[in-house]
Amino acid sequence: MAAVVLNKVGKKYPNGFHAIPSIDLDIKDGEFIVLVGPSGCGKSTLLRMVAGLETISDGELSINGTRMNEREPAERDIAMVFQSYALYPHMSVAGNMGYGLKNRGVDKEVIEQKVNDVAAMLDLSHLLDRKPKQLSGGQRQRVAMGRAMVRDPQVFLFDEPLSNLDAKLRVQMRVEIRQLQRKLGTTTLYVTHDQVEAMTLADRLVVLNQGHAEQVGSPLDLYERPATPFVAAFIGSPAMNLFSAHLQQNKLILGQNESIMLECDHSFEGQVVWGIRPEHLEVTETEGDFKMRVKAVESLGAETLIYGAIEGVNEEVVLRLSGPHQPEINSNIELNAPQDKWHLFDANTQQRL
Amino acid sequence: MTVTFPHKTLPWLLIAPQLLVTLIFFLWPAGQAIEQAFYQEDAFGLSREFVALENFIELLQDPYYYNSIGVTLVFSMAVAVSGLSIALVLATMADRIIRGQMVYQTLLIWPYAVAPALAGVLWWILFDPAQGPIALWLEYMGIEWDHFVNGGDAMILVVIAATWKQISYNFLFFLAGLQAIPRSLIEAAAIDGAGPVRRFWDIVFPLLSPTAFFLLVMNIVYAFFETFGVIDATTAGGPGQSTKILVYKVYEDGFVGLDLGGSAAQSVILMMIVGLMTVVQFRFIERKVQY
Repeated sequence: MAAVVLNKVGKKYPNGFHAIPSIDLDIKDGEFIVLVGPSGCGKSTLLRMVAGLETISDGELSINGTRMNEREPAERDIAMVFQSYALYPHMSVAGNMGYGLKNRGVDKEVIEQKVNDVAAMLDLSHLLDRKPKQLSGGQRQRVAMGRAMVRDPQVFLFDEPLSNLDAKLRVQMRVEIRQLQRKLGTTTLYVTHDQVEAMTLADRLVVLNQGHAEQVGSPLDLYERPATPFVAAFIGSPAMNLFSAHLQQNKLILGQNESIMLECDHSFEGQVVWGIRPEHLEVTETEGDFKMRVKAVESLGAETLIYGAIEGVNEEVVLRLSGPHQPEINSNIELNAPQDKWHLFDANTQQRL
Repeated sequence: MTVTFPHKTLPWLLIAPQLLVTLIFFLWPAGQAIEQAFYQEDAFGLSREFVALENFIELLQDPYYYNSIGVTLVFSMAVAVSGLSIALVLATMADRIIRGQMVYQTLLIWPYAVAPALAGVLWWILFDPAQGPIALWLEYMGIEWDHFVNGGDAMILVVIAATWKQISYNFLFFLAGLQAIPRSLIEAAAIDGAGPVRRFWDIVFPLLSPTAFFLLVMNIVYAFFETFGVIDATTAGGPGQSTKILVYKVYEDGFVGLDLGGSAAQSVILMMIVGLMTVVQFRFIERKVQY
């Protein structure tokens, strides 16, 4: 168990591409940190830099107060679970799990004991003699986790470990990973592009965008107070409704011909990005803040998603209602956007107002 | 799913070219050789006499034949082992190169395109005791070299010439095998505390073993049967019997010594060896070397 500190860590490739300009991150002992972002945002690169599989071009990485930049992966006392699992195909499950200990010169009996303990914890005891080829996807995933756990490392690194599993298994493994991490109390860095996975697993989330940390915080923090439109759009499903708008004399103006004007008590003047989550729009029988013309309806049983366009400004909007609803296509729905649910961002600086 | 043809003749027409080639160029000569092995024929091909197994009996009592088997075993093992290990080292290094990999690979593949006889002549000139640069350098280093007199030197020369050609072939397969190993496996092993040497022996080599076994069989077949050109252009089996491998002896006894029956009997034995190797290869490749 250890604290991991990234101090102005950056990655620059020989061809001059700055994959990660500079990231500061202070991970506390035993914390579960999820790095999340769209593909190409540098999240895997950052994880591989912590693992020692990529060199660190700038800044300093320390684990438990010791500088790690120049250390080999094996000397960092970390364990990694790969997206492809990376199990050694010619070794048995027990061989795979014990390989790291064997390389460190641990006694045979001790290795066997530890492998058996971890296998029991992961429900793998009956599979120890099998080869990876003879296992199902979920079992392989467990073996990969077991291999990481046997070594009892300072830090766990997960690189999209669930993306090769089917939806049901993914949910099951997600819960299991979280429970195991709580039980072991090992500091964990977890990379994913799936925001649901990120929200459910993380103590704290790091949303990455083109190598920048857009925001760091607890899942609910990020949901309730996204710092930038990028985070606002990325966290939450379906994504937040975002519109470019104008703030002027305590009025929010949407559309080119000022077709929608909403009263507000904000003192900011100028171009803004205005956001409201699909679940925070309220249907009203009387005349609301604006009208929405229904284009498509997705009934999920427990909730209904209604896709449409705002009348007069031609902007896409999503509405989320609990329970079943069946509005007619092309019918109009009057909507209210309560001001305490608004998210306002400065259009120039992209920062929250 | 099977495709059914309405025609009865069309399938035969489609495989006819392949069948004809096999019949005319493989089965017919092979049949001729088998037949010939039971006859004694005079040098001009005017008369022949059925002698049953006499050709074989004579062969199996001939000390030169056993010598040739020994030479072949030494030669093929030396070619296979050195060809495989050098190619593996080169492929491992090529796999690490990031820039200029194409150039490097292409250059390494060129020797394969050189005709065996030319390769032989090339090495023969390089090692010529009177004027070859390598022979002169060896002399300068205080090592005596004369493959015209010394059987060991001659063997080394043919092994070098035959190996040199085969390295390209092995290299290609090893490189493809190496590149098929997922990078994440190597990375996982690195995190598991295995250094580069350990990673090679614990992870890379076992994963390459099917390729290596396939190449071992191919190299032995090559050394047995396809090195005629190299031998003929360099030592011609000499000095004495020291580089006379089985295939070269078939040629020499048959076409120089004009003992057609004895030569045919040797061919039949060689055919049986090929058959055996094919069986071994298929059996093992499909069963043993699986992980």
